[in-house]
Amino acid sequence: MRKSKQLDSLFNPKSLAMIGASTSTRKWGFLILLNILKAGYKGTVYPVNPKLDSILGFKCYPNVADIPDQVDLAVITIPAAMVSNVIDECGKKDIPNIVVITADFSETGLEGAKLEKEIADKARSYGINLTGPNTMGIFSAESNLHALMPMIMPLHGKVSMFSQSGNVGVQMLDYGLQENVGFEKFVSSGNQAVLSIEDYLTYFANDEQTDVILGYIEGLDKNSDFTSVAAEVTRKKPVLVMKGGRTNVGGSAASSHSGSMAGSTAIFRAVCKQTGIVEACNTQELIDCAKAFACYPLPKGNRVGIITRGGGWGVLAADACEENGLDVPELPRYLIREMDKLLPKYWNRKNPIDLVGTIAHDPLPQCLEMLAEWDGVDAVLALGAGFRAFSYQYSEEVKGPRELTDAMELLKEYLKERSRQPDEILVQVANMVSKTGKPVISVSIGSDYAHKKYSEQYGIVSYPTPERAVRVLRHMVEYSRYLKTSS
Amino acid sequence: MYYIHPKQKEYMDIIKQALAEGRNTLSEFDSKKVLQHYKIPVTQEKIVTNEAELESAAKELGFPLVLKGSSFEIAHKTEKGLIQIDIRTPEEAREAFRTIQSRMETDQKDVLVQEMVKGQRELVVGMTRDAQFGPCVMFGLGGIFTEILKDVAFRVAPLKQRDTFDLMEEIRGKKILDAVRGLEAVDREALADILQAVGQIGLDYDEIKEIDINPLKIKNGQPIAVDALVVLEDPA
Repeated sequence: MRKSKQLDSLFNPKSLAMIGASTSTRKWGFLILLNILKAGYKGTVYPVNPKLDSILGFKCYPNVADIPDQVDLAVITIPAAMVSNVIDECGKKDIPNIVVITADFSETGLEGAKLEKEIADKARSYGINLTGPNTMGIFSAESNLHALMPMIMPLHGKVSMFSQSGNVGVQMLDYGLQENVGFEKFVSSGNQAVLSIEDYLTYFANDEQTDVILGYIEGLDKNSDFTSVAAEVTRKKPVLVMKGGRTNVGGSAASSHSGSMAGSTAIFRAVCKQTGIVEACNTQELIDCAKAFACYPLPKGNRVGIITRGGGWGVLAADACEENGLDVPELPRYLIREMDKLLPKYWNRKNPIDLVGTIAHDPLPQCLEMLAEWDGVDAVLALGAGFRAFSYQYSEEVKGPRELTDAMELLKEYLKERSRQPDEILVQVANMVSKTGKPVISVSIGSDYAHKKYSEQYGIVSYPTPERAVRVLRHMVEYSRYLKTSS
Repeated sequence: MYYIHPKQKEYMDIIKQALAEGRNTLSEFDSKKVLQHYKIPVTQEKIVTNEAELESAAKELGFPLVLKGSSFEIAHKTEKGLIQIDIRTPEEAREAFRTIQSRMETDQKDVLVQEMVKGQRELVVGMTRDAQFGPCVMFGLGGIFTEILKDVAFRVAPLKQRDTFDLMEEIRGKKILDAVRGLEAVDREALADILQAVGQIGLDYDEIKEIDINPLKIKNGQPIAVDALVVLEDPA
């Protein structure tokens, strides 16, 4: 396997120099510094700018050579033409890590490419780990390091991400805020002059703080060892990847069927299947998967038990299971007999179990328990939990006859009272996950905010549609199967 | 399961000669020679240039037969009327031979005489060289359905046996491999060997850019390459 580079001090530096630190609110040298300070970086910050004495209350140094202490990381925002000299200065100061935010290198043409090669060669000769150039920066929860261009404070968690696009990566950090997916480390890999996604992937694999690895990939170098690296890493932890640039380029010049049907998408998909990578088809699926992989156990097989408050949702969920290679097994006799005691005579006695809507006594928690404990299923979908999401509809003022407004008041009181109690279905979902070791996924109506709340409050995974839940389950089943069958 | 045939040199020569002549494809006959060397079952066939050879080939192979115009220059044999199928008598064979030769616009008018494989199911197995990941194996529905349904899936070579079985599961029309409508289930192990072998050819020969085995017919549950095309590219 590829040798793991020592990137601990890149992500968790004890001290950092901000080269190009500025007081101008329209410069990255100001905004990134502000991000670092605002987030409460745990190390020492040394702004570097020969024209200033102090910045944001910090003493400013004319040159890294003037900094009295050891510096673990230099973040560079100065113009491209000046970067090369600064790499020398950093090298002489024994700074082991550099993040080059500055753009205008190989992405802009031959001139830039020449400059990029120069800084890469220099960095290598000093043994410097260089991220970028043309990167949006790095983030680490462990040391509260937010060396990022955008003002974003990601949730802290166990997911680490590398991204070949800064803005796609940052979008995922933001998406994580909405979906309660917390990040441990993030890197925008930029032009990958020295460090490449293969290095970050290897590092995250060995990083004890990271449980799940996310990646956004547009392309790989000609001699990339991505395939062998990925195959090793997926044995340790899940790697969830989204591929950009999915158009069928090379295909048009082919002279055979085999040639013309192979697009980069089809081949990349094959690579994912062969290396155990979970390939998400869009950003939503990527964050949905990140959420479940980060906090749920993997299913041991592909058999799904479905319990639903509404017939239609059960049908949709069962359809989605069938379409995604998941089994929805028939209920055993003993389970039907047990549920007969709880449910009205006319219940359907089938999987999906269609609970007939009752308000007074809710049979869902008990039925959910029986279903989750049945050894004939490896995962459970609980559809229709959290129906309080509708409650807000009743909070609005109603105009009309007295009887109507009185009734609304009574209902509001009732809902208010109920909202003080924890949602017993969601509590039961959480219980069942820990009791059975199976993923029990909640599907319910309600805004993104509601699902985020369920996740925060109950530690469960919840999605607004059965289709999204099933797609995630399919990925979990496939990864679980990969781990079992590959060696 | 891979092996280097003692006569491998001969097959390198087919490729080298083709490249030296500036050709970028092998004829069906030569393409199948390459496949055969990797133990891929192919149709029994002979190249004939005159009616005497035709007669002895027919005797050896037995009826029914298929006759095809054979040349590396000819693609789309069906559209050009260069394939005559279900030939059951020496008379029919002679007539087909003459028809094909009259339609061939090439200098050489070789005709391929081939056993007719009866099989209702047609699959495709192929190989293409990806700039990033190298030789990749394709599997899916064959015959006219390859283009129409595009029900194919890929794996990067070398393929583990698990990859081959995954490929068989991945296509939408996977049920074609089962015992359907009174047909025998396809021998998946045999199919797995073919998929692995095609990947191995790609790994062994940089000169081979693409391979199409289409159709790969299923006869009594056994896969057999009925038509094949090897596309070359001088790696230098």
